[in-house]
Amino acid sequence: MKILIVEDEIALQQSIALFLERDGNLCEVVSEYGEAQDKVAIYDYDIVLLDINLDDGSGLDILRRLKRKKAQAGIIIISANSSLEDKLEGLDLGADDYMTKPFHLAELNSRIKAVLRRGKFGGDEQVRFNEIRIDTRSRTVYVNDISIALTRKEYDLLLFFVVNQGRVLSKEIIAEHLWGDSSDLLDNFDFVYVHINNLRKKLSKETAKYIKTAYGSGYKFIAD
Amino acid sequence: MLRKKRTYKLLQRTSWDFLLLSVVLCILTGLALFFYTRYLLDEELEEQLESRTAFVIAELEEGRQVTSIPPLMEIGTSDRRLEKSFRDTMLYDPFENEPELFRELTSTVELDEKIYHVIVRSHVIESDDVLEPIVASFISILAGAFFVLFFLNKKRNRKLWEPFFGSLTRLKSFSLQSDEPLIFPESNIQEFQELNQELVEITNKLKVDYRNLKQFTADMSHETQTPLAIIQAKVENIINQNDINSTQYGELTAIQKEIKRLSQLNANLILLAKIDNHQFPEQEPINLTRLLKEKIENFSTLTSQEFQLSVKKRPKSLMMNANLAHALLNNLLTNAVKYGDGDKPIFIHILHNELAIGNYGKKTLRNPEKLFDRFYKEGKHPKSNGFGLSIVKKICDHYGFDASYIFKENHHVFKVIF
Repeated sequence: MKILIVEDEIALQQSIALFLERDGNLCEVVSEYGEAQDKVAIYDYDIVLLDINLDDGSGLDILRRLKRKKAQAGIIIISANSSLEDKLEGLDLGADDYMTKPFHLAELNSRIKAVLRRGKFGGDEQVRFNEIRIDTRSRTVYVNDISIALTRKEYDLLLFFVVNQGRVLSKEIIAEHLWGDSSDLLDNFDFVYVHINNLRKKLSKETAKYIKTAYGSGYKFIAD
Repeated sequence: MLRKKRTYKLLQRTSWDFLLLSVVLCILTGLALFFYTRYLLDEELEEQLESRTAFVIAELEEGRQVTSIPPLMEIGTSDRRLEKSFRDTMLYDPFENEPELFRELTSTVELDEKIYHVIVRSHVIESDDVLEPIVASFISILAGAFFVLFFLNKKRNRKLWEPFFGSLTRLKSFSLQSDEPLIFPESNIQEFQELNQELVEITNKLKVDYRNLKQFTADMSHETQTPLAIIQAKVENIINQNDINSTQYGELTAIQKEIKRLSQLNANLILLAKIDNHQFPEQEPINLTRLLKEKIENFSTLTSQEFQLSVKKRPKSLMMNANLAHALLNNLLTNAVKYGDGDKPIFIHILHNELAIGNYGKKTLRNPEKLFDRFYKEGKHPKSNGFGLSIVKKICDHYGFDASYIFKENHHVFKVIF
C-alpha cells in the first residue's frame, strides 16, 4: 500500500513510517503544507495520514484538495486537538477516520486496515490469516469455513490481533483498543487475559496457538 | 448562606416612592394648613371679642344702660378686679337646645367707684365649620394634582428608561459563543449612551479574551499531546524490535502507562476548561435509564463488579450535551468501581429527579467536603487521578444540578439531583 504521511513533527513522522513499512507498505513523508499540496496533486495514494495543525497551513485544506480531485485515497486525520468541532468538520469534509494524539501505532494500523477494507476503491471485506477468515461486513469469523460464535469483544480482539500480526501488543494497548478511555478501570488487566482466554477456547486447537505470549505479559499473533 | 436581598423593579420602585412622598406631603401640608388657618380664625375671633368689649365699655363710660344678652354678653358688678383673660367654656345654648363651646373674654372696668365685669362670648363651632371645608378642599386638590402627576410621571419614566431596558434585554441575550456584535439602542440621554459604550467595550474585550482562552486551550492541548504521541510511537517501535528482553519490556510498558496517565490528565484538564468556557452548547434529550444500562453493559466486559440498577420512578427528561452526560455517568460509575469493594454490588437508584450511586465502604470519608475539589485524593489511592469527581461537580454546576455525598448504611453514596 502507498501511504502519504503529512505530519510536521519529524520524529513522529519517522516513527509512523518505520512502523508501517515493516508491513511492506510504501511510505512517503512530508512535513510542509505546500509540499503536501503538491504531492496530493500529482500522485495517488491508498492512504493519506493528515495532521490538521501544520506550521504553515491547515490539513483540512489538503483534505479539500483531495476531495476536489476525487482522489480514491482513504484519509485519516491525526490531530492533537480532541475538540469535537474539528472532528466533525474533518469527517464532514470526507475524512474516513479521526485519531487524537497520542495514539498507539498498532491502533493506527488497525484503523488504516479498516479504512482500506471499507474502501470505495474495491477493498476486500474479508480478512484472512491461514485458515481464519473474518468477514468484516457481517462481523463473522470462520475457521476452515466453519463459522464460530464470538462475543463483540472477542471479535474485536481477534481482528486487532490479525491486522497487527507479528507485532507485540501489550495488555494496555489491547485494553485501550477494546474499551477506550474506560480502560483505566482495569487495575490488573486480568480482564484482557480473560477475554483472550475465552477467544482461545473458541478457536480451533491449531489456530489458538497463533496467540502467543511475549515477554511474559504481552501478546503476539503469529504463525509458527 | 447569604440571603438574597429583595429586589424591586425600577419603574415600580419610582412609582411607589412618588406615591409615598405624595401621601406624606398631603398629610404634612394639610396639617400645617389646618393649624395655621385655625390660628388665624382664633385671632379673628379674639379681635372680635375685644372690639365688642370695647363697644360695651364705651357705652358704660357714656353712662348708658347696657343690658346683658346671655350667653353672648353679660355685665355684672363685683367688688374685686379680675385679670383680662380669654378662655373656652361650655354653655347651654337655648336656641340650639344643647351645650355649645364658646370662647369668652372677661374684662374688668371701674366706673364711679363701681367695678364692672364684662364677659363677651362667641361660638367656637362656627370657626371649625369654616376650617374643615378649607382643609378638605385643599387636600383633595393636592391629591388630585398628585394623582395626575403620578400617571404622567409613570408614562414619562417609562419612556425615559426605555433605552436602558432595551440595553438590558440585549445584554441578557449576550453569548460569548456568538459572533454577532452586540448593538444597543440609541439614546439621547448622555449616561445611557456612556453605559452602552462601556458595555460594548467590555463585551468586546470579553469576546477577545474568550477567543484567546479557547486558543490557549487548543494550543496547550496541541503542544503537550504531540510530544506524548512521539514518545508513545518511539516506545512502541522499540518494543517491536526483536532485541529487547523481558525486563526492558516491563520498563517500556511502564512508560506507556505513564504516557496514558499524562494524556488523560491533559484530556481532563481540557474538558474542565471547556465546560468552564461553555464549549458544550449543543443539547439533546437524554434518556438516563437507557444510558446507564449501556454504561453498565460496557463496564461488565471490563470488570467483574456487579451493578444493581433500580428505577423507582421514571426519570425526568433531561436536556444535556451528550458528551457531558457520558462524562458525568462515566465518572460517577468509575468512581464507584474504583473505590468500592469488588465483591459487593454497586447500587444505582433512579428516582424522578434524582440519581444515587452507592459503593460499599467501611467508614465515612475523612474530608467529604473536599471530595469534589480538583486533585483532592482521599488517602493515597493509586488508582485515583483526582479528577473524576471534580468533573462530576463541574458538569452538575454547569446544568444547575446538585451533587452531594453521604455515608449511609456502609455505603458511600453519591447523589445528583436534577
